[in-house]
Amino acid sequence: MKGALLLCALLATGNPYEGKPDAVRAGAKLYARHCAQCHGLDAGGSGRAPSLRSPAVQSASPEEMFHTLTNGRMSRGMPSWAHLPAERRWQIITYLRSLK
Amino acid sequence: MRRLRSRSGPCYSLDLQLSCNWFFPLLLLSATALPAAEAPYYVTYSAQMEEPGNLEVSFDQLAGGNFLSSILELEYGVKTWWTTEFYLDGQATGGQSALFTGWRIENRFRPWMGEHRINPVLYVEFEDINGAEKSLKEVVGHDVADDQLVPNDEARRDHQRELETKLILSSNVRGWDISANLIAEKNLAAEPWEFGYAFGASRPLAFAATPGPCTFCRENFSVGAEVFGGIGTWRQFGLPGTSHYLGPILAWQLPSGAQLMVSPAFGLNGNSHAFLLRFTVSYEIGQVFRRRS
Repeated sequence: MKGALLLCALLATGNPYEGKPDAVRAGAKLYARHCAQCHGLDAGGSGRAPSLRSPAVQSASPEEMFHTLTNGRMSRGMPSWAHLPAERRWQIITYLRSLK
Repeated sequence: MRRLRSRSGPCYSLDLQLSCNWFFPLLLLSATALPAAEAPYYVTYSAQMEEPGNLEVSFDQLAGGNFLSSILELEYGVKTWWTTEFYLDGQATGGQSALFTGWRIENRFRPWMGEHRINPVLYVEFEDINGAEKSLKEVVGHDVADDQLVPNDEARRDHQRELETKLILSSNVRGWDISANLIAEKNLAAEPWEFGYAFGASRPLAFAATPGPCTFCRENFSVGAEVFGGIGTWRQFGLPGTSHYLGPILAWQLPSGAQLMVSPAFGLNGNSHAFLLRFTVSYEIGQVFRRRS
């Protein structure tokens, strides 16, 4: 029963922009604005932050990516992006998943 | 807002303001711009920290009564959990003079990693200012509008070193930033602890971004409001004899990376200025002290 509720919750909070071309373009714009300075313009990583094209990142679920974006990895130098509205975080994730 | 306070530091007419006015645009021209994405408040702090390695340069102007206060702010992200900021303050009063009123250095620490329902931040600031300082970056104790009637020539001789602490509590709720600050300030030479508060709420006009570049689209604007004031001292805690303000805020993020912010603030009682107008332009420079790769 708990498992079913968790699945329902995950489905209910899934990426609302999955596969939408406009969201990919909006996400690319947001990525360039907020993420590219550390992860690189092509998301290929830099000396400061890892590649977001790597299999480890690309195999993560949208919910896992959303969690990372929301909470950051502060001990590793990645700030929390919770101040961005959830819609914009999902748009960034939509763009990142389009890089597969 | 400050009572008459002593200072023996440098005071000179418009020289500093002019140098600040030149320094700021020159720095902007030579920088890589990033959006200054902090919650749009003047007095209230949110839990949002400066990104590590980024430097935000801001120029604040406050017009109230017959004075114009100016602040140059340099904010640097040392770590994801540590932001430091340096201020230079000045003001010009009609019919009197323009002068440098002091400096401040602040540090903000975010003790909990990750995002929580309520995110606390600890704030510690040291101020070396004089009694002519009129920035109203915070209102504490029994600060009232009449404190600022003291002529500059007399007020600037009051020198003050102060320690200011804040407990910042902040939440991100469905696109809204909701922040509360509890302020405690201590004159290091004398006087009891003074207390104040600030509350703010803000949100972008549009939560989702548009696909293409745009200048005047709703996503680039944020609106909010903040209320702030004093709540007495350690010896006389409470609202009697204190001043309070309420003001809406509008912020505009330009595609160039600059952010403009304007806020009219209205005094809520007879001890307050009837009206204040604040204007800020800020610019964030990415990875300013780090080698680009």
